Amino acid sequence: MSKYIIRRILTMIPTLLIISMLVFVIIQLPPGDYLESHIAELQSQGEAVDEQKIAFLREEYGLDRPMYEQYFYWVTGMLQGDFGYSFEYNLPVTEVVGDRLFLTILISLVTIMFTWMVAFPIGIYSATHQYSWGDYGLSLLGFLGLATPNFLLALIMLYFANVYFGTSIGGLMAPEYINAPWSFDKLMSVLEHLWIPVVVIGTSGTAGMIRRLRANLLDELQKQYVVTGRAKGLPPGKLLIKYPLRVSLNFFIADIGNLLPTVISGAEIVAVVMSLPTTGPILLSALQSQDMYLAGSFLMFLAVLTVVGVLVSDLALAVLDPRIRLQGGLEK
Amino acid sequence: MIFSRIFFAVALFLFSLMLQSVSANTLIETDFLADKVASGQLPPVLNRLPENPQIVSFDGEFKPGRHGGQLRLLMGKQKDIRQISIYGYARLVCYTPDLELEADILESVDVEDGRIFTLHLRKGHKWSDGHPFTSEDFRYYWEDIANNPEISKGGPSKRLRIDGELPVVDFIDDWTVRYSWSQPNPFFLPALAGASPLYIYKPAHYLRQFHQRYQTEQRLAELVDKYQARNWVGLHVNRDRPYKATNPDLPTLQPWVNTTYPPSQRFIFERNPFYYRQDSNGRQLPYIDSVAVNIASGKLIPAKTGADESDLQARYLRMGNYTFLKQAGKRSNFNVRIWSTAKGANTALFPNLNTKDPVMRSLLQDVRFRKALSLAIHRHEINQVVYFGLALEGNNTVLPKSPLYKPEYQTSSAGFDLEQANQLLDELGLVNRDDRGVRLLPDGRPLEILIQTAGESTEETDILELVHDSWLDAGIKLYSIPSTREVFRNRIFSGDAMMSIWSGMANGLPNADSNPAPLAPTSRYQYQWPQWGQYYESGGTAGLKPEMKEVNQLLQLNHDWRMAINKSERHAIWQEMLEIHRQQMFTIGIIAGVKHPVVVNQSLNNVPLTGFYDMKPGAYFGIYKPDTFWFSEDRR
Repeated sequence: MSKYIIRRILTMIPTLLIISMLVFVIIQLPPGDYLESHIAELQSQGEAVDEQKIAFLREEYGLDRPMYEQYFYWVTGMLQGDFGYSFEYNLPVTEVVGDRLFLTILISLVTIMFTWMVAFPIGIYSATHQYSWGDYGLSLLGFLGLATPNFLLALIMLYFANVYFGTSIGGLMAPEYINAPWSFDKLMSVLEHLWIPVVVIGTSGTAGMIRRLRANLLDELQKQYVVTGRAKGLPPGKLLIKYPLRVSLNFFIADIGNLLPTVISGAEIVAVVMSLPTTGPILLSALQSQDMYLAGSFLMFLAVLTVVGVLVSDLALAVLDPRIRLQGGLEK
Repeated sequence: MIFSRIFFAVALFLFSLMLQSVSANTLIETDFLADKVASGQLPPVLNRLPENPQIVSFDGEFKPGRHGGQLRLLMGKQKDIRQISIYGYARLVCYTPDLELEADILESVDVEDGRIFTLHLRKGHKWSDGHPFTSEDFRYYWEDIANNPEISKGGPSKRLRIDGELPVVDFIDDWTVRYSWSQPNPFFLPALAGASPLYIYKPAHYLRQFHQRYQTEQRLAELVDKYQARNWVGLHVNRDRPYKATNPDLPTLQPWVNTTYPPSQRFIFERNPFYYRQDSNGRQLPYIDSVAVNIASGKLIPAKTGADESDLQARYLRMGNYTFLKQAGKRSNFNVRIWSTAKGANTALFPNLNTKDPVMRSLLQDVRFRKALSLAIHRHEINQVVYFGLALEGNNTVLPKSPLYKPEYQTSSAGFDLEQANQLLDELGLVNRDDRGVRLLPDGRPLEILIQTAGESTEETDILELVHDSWLDAGIKLYSIPSTREVFRNRIFSGDAMMSIWSGMANGLPNADSNPAPLAPTSRYQYQWPQWGQYYESGGTAGLKPEMKEVNQLLQLNHDWRMAINKSERHAIWQEMLEIHRQQMFTIGIIAGVKHPVVVNQSLNNVPLTGFYDMKPGAYFGIYKPDTFWFSEDRR
């Protein structure tokens, strides 16, 4: 097992290296660089563009260097824990992202819990009562959630929350609590705002999870061990939870690999529409303004989480599912 | 005899004491700062104002007010907090609402022959941290920033040069600075008064700690490390951004001082206790204690404004939001006012006279062709369809409120006259048509005009759709090509673009003293002649030399204007340049004077009912001096 883990970790190195190159090249692909888009912005505002200052900044940011040199600078910096400098914010990348990570993780965790709490009972009910009115009705609701564009739902809910509950539009708390120390009032304000993004982001995830749980569980319910258990007189609830449900959760553990990066990045589009103080909007605007170190470091961070997440879910599967064996292929 | 003289002296002394105590009594301490004054952290208001503060008087709809309250604003990006440096609009000299220049931070400016500028500071004026503001701050800028070979690589800013010549700068005493050139410099004062001004003064006492000349090497290295800069130059530049307002430690002269370190979603600007202006009732300005800037996604700002989350909002609002805001205003307590914008044209077509295609180039360089294009645009229809009929139809030129305005500048060849347009095109020899009715070029290709757009506003594509229909009646087929802003500009610079759509003259309200350079090919960002502009910009090393007679005439006039000594001469030159533009139609203006909604909280006073909202020359709210805005009782 430990040999396996070491081998997996070693293969991560070339994977991440290739990802870093891809990320860097793709960010550089659009014409121009950060300063070009900066100039364009200044001009559209009617502000003076000082060519001298631009030349100074180009040198200061190292944008006058060849691309491979910039890449090398970035990668070696990252290995030493220096994620580079955000041109747009004039701050080190870690400072820009740092403050927002907590709120992003908060939203994501609450959303995931919301998704599970809604999806599990419905999925189990749908599978055990296949083709019943309840199954059809709940599936319809789930599909509606999947089909409604998130951003539209977000806007509608923001509007009604504002008109009927007086909740301030967008954001995660009323403006006066931003930068204020944590207090009971601030917590209440966060809770007041939190439910909208959670419901909006959750709806589409819930529908997907219901379908997968239902399908997996249906597969298992037909199997002989279930019939045997039932014939031996096991109470239906205990039978369901102890055997087929556990097996049908495999997909769920395999999903951890995808879960980790989404916890950090949040749902970008919804976050932009609702102007949430999470990391999603930062990533998007960094890509737009070609703030390359901010965008690049962020994408790399997500890549690392994905790679680690996949490893974790593989290991967890091996531990939890007795059918999965490392040596399986070798013995035969 | 002696006795009476002593008596007189004593009387005079007593009298002067009395005068002083009267003026001290009439100054009113701000509640917001009262605690700090009582605890000795701040001196009383008498000692915070300069010896000779600027005293503001009010008339008409404007009334003196009271201290207090917090002004809430919404901005779309963290970078937007620089808007507070624009709204604050404390400049060495500033524009009045009538667009005349007057001394502002300075007590006065003496100008000799348009080339020697003597700046007089206010004695006792202090930075927001209480340190005196003196000519040392000007010296620091000139010697240690502008002329430091490491901070300013190519020497002082272009904005300080006239024909490459640098000024001679003298620091006469603590409160007097003199800038002099050997020839007239009409750009100097407007640059100081700009919305994004030329800063020729810096807080020397603060910035010295980051400067190699004044700081020990070891301490400097520590600071570079602390702020994660590349070297001391990067550190100095980064700490010294008065316009961006990102460094709360940087002392300022503006009415409000940033107190929040970025990154943040909310920035609080608090009143500058050492501000140099007061009202006639003895209240130090600004009236409003603090400004709270909340950052929200730009697309949500109209909705948030409608939910009464802003007290003064125009940024990120558009005329399209007007009906929604008006309706929301009934539920909440704000008014929606309609201000005008000051661009020469909000949308204009820019035929690229330097386009690569030789056939199209010779056509576009023919004034008859440009006039035909203009005559075939139904501006009235566009106004009705896109702007509720509230905009001005006409050319890209000065607006009616400018002292240089003549009606023909706006209306000449700007009416809708298909017959004349067709006649002009026939005259040009474009008589053959294909089966779509599109005219054929001399080389047999159809006359198809590709118009580049930056792809940012639906307004532009709506307008182009309407232009497309009427141009087709004149036998011209229009295609619009959306791209991104960088690609858009690069296509224009390289000559790949035939024509583009963008906004016209940035300042539609110039007077004789405004710089006429935008009318002559002086910059490659002038989309009608990018290569000619680049030629001028680069001093002839890049771009193309202009060949058209009228264009060279404009360049000559631009030069003459700089050499002109008095206002009437400059006025005449402006008129001549505008006349050339009227005849030549280098740009095809479509719509100007588009209105802009301004949301104002009902308790907020002294915001004018009508005004113009633009960066140049108005600094948005700046020229209406937001330090005089105040909240009525219920909001304080």
